[in-house]
Amino acid sequence: MGTSPAGVAGVQMRGFERLPWRRIILVVLGIAIVLVVGIGAWKTLALPAAEGGYSAAAWRDFVVEGVSQGGIFAMIALGYSLVYGILRMINFAHGEVFMAGAFGSYFFADAYAGSGFLNRSPVIALLIITGVAIAVSVGTAALLERLAYRPLRHAPRLVPLITAIGASLFLQNVFRGFFGPQPYGYPKPQLLTGGTTILSVPITRVQLLVIVVAVLSMVALQLFVARTTTGRSMRAVAQDSEIASLMGINVDRVIVITFVIGGILAGIAGVLFSLTFGQVQFTMGFRPGIAAFTAAVLGGIGSISGAALGGFLIGLLRAVGPPLILTGYGIPSVFSIRDAFVFLVLVLVLVFRPGGLLGSGEAEKV
Amino acid sequence: MTDVRSWIRVGIIAGFVTIFLALVGLIGRFVDLNLVGEQVTFARLVLIAAPLVAGYVVTRPRIQAGERRALAPRDAIVAGAVSGATAGFVFGIAVVAADAFGIDRIRSVFLNVSEPLIDFVTFGQPPVVGAVILTAVSAIAGGLAAGLRVTPIVARRPITTAVSTILVLGFLQRIIPIALDQLGLERDWLYSRSIGGLTWLGAIAVGAAAAGLSVLNARKGRELRARLFSAGEEKTGVAPAQLVLVLVLVAVLVAVPWVVGEVISQVLGTVLIYVLLGIGLNIVVGYAGLLDLGYVFFFAVGAYSTALLTGAALNTFTGSGPPAVSLDLNFYLAIPIVLLIAAGAGLLIGAPVLRLRGDYLALVTLGLGEMVTVLIRSPWLVPLVGGPNGMRGVSDAAIAGFGFRETQHFYYLALGFVLLAVFVSWRLSASRIGRAWTAMREDEQTAEAMGVNTTRFKLLAFAMGGAIGSLGGSMFAVQIGSLTPASFEVQVSILVLGLVILGGLGSLPGVVVGSLVLVGLPGLLREFEEYRGLAYGAALVAVMILRPQGLVPNVRRSRELQEEERAQDEWAQEKEVEVAAVEGMAT
Amino acid sequence: MSEAPAVLEVRGLEKHFGGLYALTGLDMEVRGREIVSVIGPNGAGKSTLFNTITGLYGPDGGDVRFEGQSIVGLKPSQITRLGISRTFQTVHLFPNMTVLENAMVGQHSRSRSGVLGAVLRLPSQRNEEERIRGKARESLSFFGPRLSGYRQEQPAFTLSYANRRRLEIARALATEPKLLLLDEPTAGMNPTETQELTDQIWRLRKDRGVTILVIEHDMRVVKGVSDRVIALDYGKKIAEGTYEEVAHDERVIEAYLGTKASA
Repeated sequence: MGTSPAGVAGVQMRGFERLPWRRIILVVLGIAIVLVVGIGAWKTLALPAAEGGYSAAAWRDFVVEGVSQGGIFAMIALGYSLVYGILRMINFAHGEVFMAGAFGSYFFADAYAGSGFLNRSPVIALLIITGVAIAVSVGTAALLERLAYRPLRHAPRLVPLITAIGASLFLQNVFRGFFGPQPYGYPKPQLLTGGTTILSVPITRVQLLVIVVAVLSMVALQLFVARTTTGRSMRAVAQDSEIASLMGINVDRVIVITFVIGGILAGIAGVLFSLTFGQVQFTMGFRPGIAAFTAAVLGGIGSISGAALGGFLIGLLRAVGPPLILTGYGIPSVFSIRDAFVFLVLVLVLVFRPGGLLGSGEAEKV
Repeated sequence: MTDVRSWIRVGIIAGFVTIFLALVGLIGRFVDLNLVGEQVTFARLVLIAAPLVAGYVVTRPRIQAGERRALAPRDAIVAGAVSGATAGFVFGIAVVAADAFGIDRIRSVFLNVSEPLIDFVTFGQPPVVGAVILTAVSAIAGGLAAGLRVTPIVARRPITTAVSTILVLGFLQRIIPIALDQLGLERDWLYSRSIGGLTWLGAIAVGAAAAGLSVLNARKGRELRARLFSAGEEKTGVAPAQLVLVLVLVAVLVAVPWVVGEVISQVLGTVLIYVLLGIGLNIVVGYAGLLDLGYVFFFAVGAYSTALLTGAALNTFTGSGPPAVSLDLNFYLAIPIVLLIAAGAGLLIGAPVLRLRGDYLALVTLGLGEMVTVLIRSPWLVPLVGGPNGMRGVSDAAIAGFGFRETQHFYYLALGFVLLAVFVSWRLSASRIGRAWTAMREDEQTAEAMGVNTTRFKLLAFAMGGAIGSLGGSMFAVQIGSLTPASFEVQVSILVLGLVILGGLGSLPGVVVGSLVLVGLPGLLREFEEYRGLAYGAALVAVMILRPQGLVPNVRRSRELQEEERAQDEWAQEKEVEVAAVEGMAT
Repeated sequence: MSEAPAVLEVRGLEKHFGGLYALTGLDMEVRGREIVSVIGPNGAGKSTLFNTITGLYGPDGGDVRFEGQSIVGLKPSQITRLGISRTFQTVHLFPNMTVLENAMVGQHSRSRSGVLGAVLRLPSQRNEEERIRGKARESLSFFGPRLSGYRQEQPAFTLSYANRRRLEIARALATEPKLLLLDEPTAGMNPTETQELTDQIWRLRKDRGVTILVIEHDMRVVKGVSDRVIALDYGKKIAEGTYEEVAHDERVIEAYLGTKASA
């Protein structure tokens, strides 16, 4: 028995198999997108007002709207980012945490509106309403963590994600069951009706409030995470939970705190959202949730400044994108497909830069 | 002492659960749903459900110092009673408080709180008295559950089997009597026409039969099955018993529509559509391990392509009109084209997207599904798919004038495609391709290192799964004959995912079971229509926590998901059976 | 020493991870039918070398040529198809697949039946499955009774540690490689198992003509198996030769033990 030659003879790599196909597809896709966007924008801006073009005032309004809604998305996005940073999982049900706060606060808002308290002492009323929203959101988030996520801390990655989806569905239907499927009109105090002008830019009072509150909250969060002991613990656990626990950090407590903070922000966002759009409904968390998640990924998931940046960016994209890019192509009712636009952005971000705009261009290695 | 505290704690939680169930409406709406006679109503069951579970949970044997320790019978019953009583007490207090606060005021917030509800839960008595009765009733429930726990397993199994069978049959009061009627069998002794549910006589008969079968199974079951299934195997290579089983199954499948009547056949038709969708998603998620949350995409592509290729028209405000792109092909010519379109779409989307990791892939697919949902409704695509008004006039897949839209005919059409899909799926999983998918799922990097082109196989799974999904959409279009965007929302994606998971990832029989449970049951039990979402959500969470391998697990997958726990459970159960066997021999 | 042409050539290979320079200009070659051992202290870049050769990482500089063609930039599955296969430092089996199935995956790149064949059970597909099964069995049989018989239907996670390592090698063998990369194959084995595996590596070359590149820490194995030894440190080659030559090389001793020991 001699030594037989090993391996399979004559396997050559054909020329075209060596081409980096994926990179080629991505480049082509990228160029196509840039072209579509560019041409659309150019055509839109060239449109005279009579044929559907937009005036400077209209653009200004879009931008303000985008920034304002962006603030709301940013606050919700922070919840996703924080939880992802610590648990490496997407809290799919965070949109429902947001909805819960909004809904919870509705009953107080409605009662105060009915009794006139809302208009007599709007500031106090709003503070209480927000407090209720925060309480409900935090409670929901804490229950989620304790019942649905904690038992699955070490499960293969598919499992917590599916659980989150189930939880999201469940929460939506709980609120539907408790309060019914119809939308409820959210009252607005007189103080917040009407608009004002800042730096010669017209802006409604609600929009102004949203922007101010959003920015303040995010600054507060950033300070908290950077300066306090708890914040430090959070950063430690996000980096390496095992070592953190060896250093004496109570990882469970930190995780709960993370969910609580996410809940606080979501609750505030819930009130702001309801004031902006004027209604609450059990389905209200789903689309903003996805938009917020897109924002978190856009800015680089796990990063606070990333989520903030992403939020405002998504708000702007949502408000300015469709009119800017799609009108030029003669697409009717561009605002009706606004959400599709956001989803497209989500897909594109994840395809081209899963690490986010501020990231490295590569998703985390598994 | 700490034990009592934990009993009380469980009881408090159970009490809150009952409050929750009442607020959601699960008690109030079902006061008249009779399960057995007029006494056992669903509402009553829900009322004591939480205390029952509390009693059962509290008496759970713990593993301490390597040994399994159970509570002594008397302690157990006490534990259960205490726990149950606490639950009833908590709920009772809530009721009293609600009454004091003013039912109508609460009603303005929580819609399901009403006078009749309060009346019901207080057994028609004033609130405080009612609360006391509640506490007592719950205590009994808890105690019973605990008592069940400490009953030796030889008695416990038959009891639980009997009770569950009675309850299940009580629930199926819309299906079974009709089937019996169609078969021309006597059924009044079993199901009462006036009340709707089982009669007491029927319940006792069913319970006894179930208990008897259970006992028989425990004693002789394994033997019988082994003998039955291997009989004749040495001679012919295939056990005749298995063959007979398959034939019986086929016969049943074919006969079903005629036995159960039109309404149920229609539900079954829908179930078959979802089985088709499930088989497709099973390839993507179960075989290849790619989490796809946007499966409605393929459903919509299949449905609308079929419509456009078979000459359907747009519904406009003035009547109807032709779509911008339209062909009028025979359905069976259109199907291969639909499959190609879906597979092509799958490849196009998959190429840039499939290299993403689990969570991200899930979200991208969700985004894509949502995009489709928004776009088919948009004014922009009205010339193609009719916008919110939709389309009408989809082919009825007629062969030589024999149309398939009629309920019972549709069942056979769908069944045919389902069997085809099952066949393809099964063959794939048992081939080199299936092996590659499994390897990829277990360790993607290593599979790649061993020569599996993971990109290609992911694309293949996505394309094949998408094609089969589009077949489901096609069936849907034929079944209804017209399409509206409302049928193509994210709920479809989640529902299909839910049924694949519930049935067991990677398991074909599981897809059928999941479909029957998540699509069939709600379709048949119309009163529960509103609680579908609640049930799905809770079921998904529960399944993931308790039994991630699903109801009819694919053996390999269940190993992946829960090896050690299953092993431990089996060990613990074997111990119990051993002990029971020893006890049985000793008596 | 073999006079066959170079099967694997590595020229100026560089790989860094951020600030960590794992490979800093490595030159080496492996000739047909040789058994070459790669040694070096921890962090010398040995596993990175394997990962770069097999396409898991793309190099930041330099070239890797297999049978004359450059394989830089190819996907790992393409490289396996060309004839390079490997085992891993920590065993990477498919735990819930059976032993036989694990080996059958190895045959993946040597087979081609697709969807049509699978669904229709064409004769070509059936024959191919038989062939795959046969080849897989044959690879497993290299380890004798340890991976044969009823064991082949057991899920891989039930195997003992040593058997898992053997299965990994058998699986790599099933890819019908021309070049086999073994990454610390005897790690964690007791002396008897180590000796057995040393003999088996020798037999791999003798009976099946496979060229082998081994990373090893256990010098008994290196001594017993190698035609040539290459020593790495800080990502480049510091010595090359027979075992005796390298074992007594000052630079090698210094790399392992520090300056004082060599003085």
